[in-house]
Amino acid sequence: MAGNSAFEMVSERGWRRGLANLLNNEFGRWWRTNRWWSQALIWAGMIGFLMGAVVTQAGMKIEDLAMLYCIFASLGPSIAITIIMQGAVVGEKQSGTAAWVLSKPASRPAFILAKLVAGSLGSLGSMVLAPGLVGYGILSYATGKLFNPLVFLGGLGVIWLVILFWLAFTLMLGTLFKSRGAVIGISLALLLLQQNLIGLIRPLQFVLPWTLVVPLNDSNDAIVPNLLLGRPVTSFLPLVITLLEILIFVAISLWRFEKEEF
Amino acid sequence: MAENAVIQTQGLSKSYKQTYALQSLDLTVHQKSIFGFLGPNGAGKTTTIKLLLGLIRPTAGSATVFGMDSVRQSVDIRARIGYLPQEPHFYEYMTARQTLHFTARFFFKGPEKAIEERVEEMLHLVALADKADRPLKTLSGGERQRLGIAQAQVNYPDLLILDEPAASLDPIGRRDVLEVMSKLRKYTTVFYSTHILDDVQRVSDTVVILNKGKLVAQGPIEELLSGSEGVIYTVHLKGDVDAAYQKVKSQPWVSGIKAGQQNDDAAWQVSVNDAEAAETQLLKLLVDGPVVVTEFRRKQYDLEDVFMQVVEGGQDGRK
Repeated sequence: MAGNSAFEMVSERGWRRGLANLLNNEFGRWWRTNRWWSQALIWAGMIGFLMGAVVTQAGMKIEDLAMLYCIFASLGPSIAITIIMQGAVVGEKQSGTAAWVLSKPASRPAFILAKLVAGSLGSLGSMVLAPGLVGYGILSYATGKLFNPLVFLGGLGVIWLVILFWLAFTLMLGTLFKSRGAVIGISLALLLLQQNLIGLIRPLQFVLPWTLVVPLNDSNDAIVPNLLLGRPVTSFLPLVITLLEILIFVAISLWRFEKEEF
Repeated sequence: MAENAVIQTQGLSKSYKQTYALQSLDLTVHQKSIFGFLGPNGAGKTTTIKLLLGLIRPTAGSATVFGMDSVRQSVDIRARIGYLPQEPHFYEYMTARQTLHFTARFFFKGPEKAIEERVEEMLHLVALADKADRPLKTLSGGERQRLGIAQAQVNYPDLLILDEPAASLDPIGRRDVLEVMSKLRKYTTVFYSTHILDDVQRVSDTVVILNKGKLVAQGPIEELLSGSEGVIYTVHLKGDVDAAYQKVKSQPWVSGIKAGQQNDDAAWQVSVNDAEAAETQLLKLLVDGPVVVTEFRRKQYDLEDVFMQVVEGGQDGRK
């Protein structure tokens, strides 16, 4: 039995230990399986189908079209990312694979960050950019002129942030709970009832990302439609709050997972 | 830290609410030994292993592995360890080859060719080369266990921790695993838990017996097998056994005789407090008397005797 002299040993220390390998594995689950193209196909197809059906209706205003696009482009993928991520931590805790991976020289932050980064970039490609391209084509066709691509990309960036909110939230719940039911139940309930909850408890408009894509009542204060239509954005505060919430969810996930016992 | 100690625990304890899973364990595992960690189900074996790996935290006491603290330096410890869980759970979407490759990548950056060669070597070690590219869900329990051994060994660890490595294997699989463990003794320290006494007796140098979270016996296997009741001779006789009984009983080095009957023979268990005197004089005393000795031997314990004594007898001492 020879030694390990033929190898270049992993030298990362601390929280980075095992990150490269775990990232490679998680990226593989997005990009080396059918997940990336099936998700891209589903959401691009859905945008194409729904927007295509609406755009052909006479008298449809561009504001309404942009609003519908915002809802279709953010709500569906948010549900999808919640379903995909609900088992990412809790599923691995239940199946024992998390314990196995963490018996190797891999840090706990690396385990969480690999899922976060791979999910974020995976969702960007499959759930934001692919359907965004279709949406860009349809909206440009509807208005008879090309949208400013940079402005449109800005709008897609905010939609991505909404998806990241639900990704990080679900990941956090996975570190807090031991059952998939609790994780998916809380995430989906909050996601699907956002509008009603904001109607009942007004301050929730500053907590839930719904108002980034859909304006409250008849106001024009939602960031994404304003960006897409080239209108001035009244406030970037909801964007900053959402970003901060994502960071808080990630911090809680890292803190809680560090204390987890397997 | 004791010289050559790979694992050392001091008062290591783990409790869940009011229940102790492990109570004040003091343990030293020396380099290049095969250390058998024995106990009934629920004795605290897996808890100890998880504490050493940093998968759970102690509620009291401490453990060091290679002189590093199991809580603060857990990742560095794991870089030098190979671990087989009691029930190995791998990613089902991977093949055996991918699983070993994924495991190897936690230790090695490259070169890719060397990693592939190591993976191939491990597949051959556990006889899974012909099934290397099948999805894991098609492997049997024994094959998964063998894959578990391969992934534990892929980095040529300085310490191999195996949690019930042979529990789910058939007799041939068990034999193979024990052979692999014996071969590895030259290169690594093996710390393994089991409830299969025969395995421990076959391959271990040192044994620890846990019961209900407490260490109840510890020592080199020969020492444990010599028993805790002192030296006992088993003697079967025919003839005037009463006279022989008095003669033997009167010897200062005889501490007791338990007399019984087996078929037509008298069957004695002679306890002695001077093994040397007994060895040279006992048989002579008997054959010089009016009896025929049909059986004479020093009682040998097997591990099952020791295990039953300390576990069922509720022994709470240390060897």
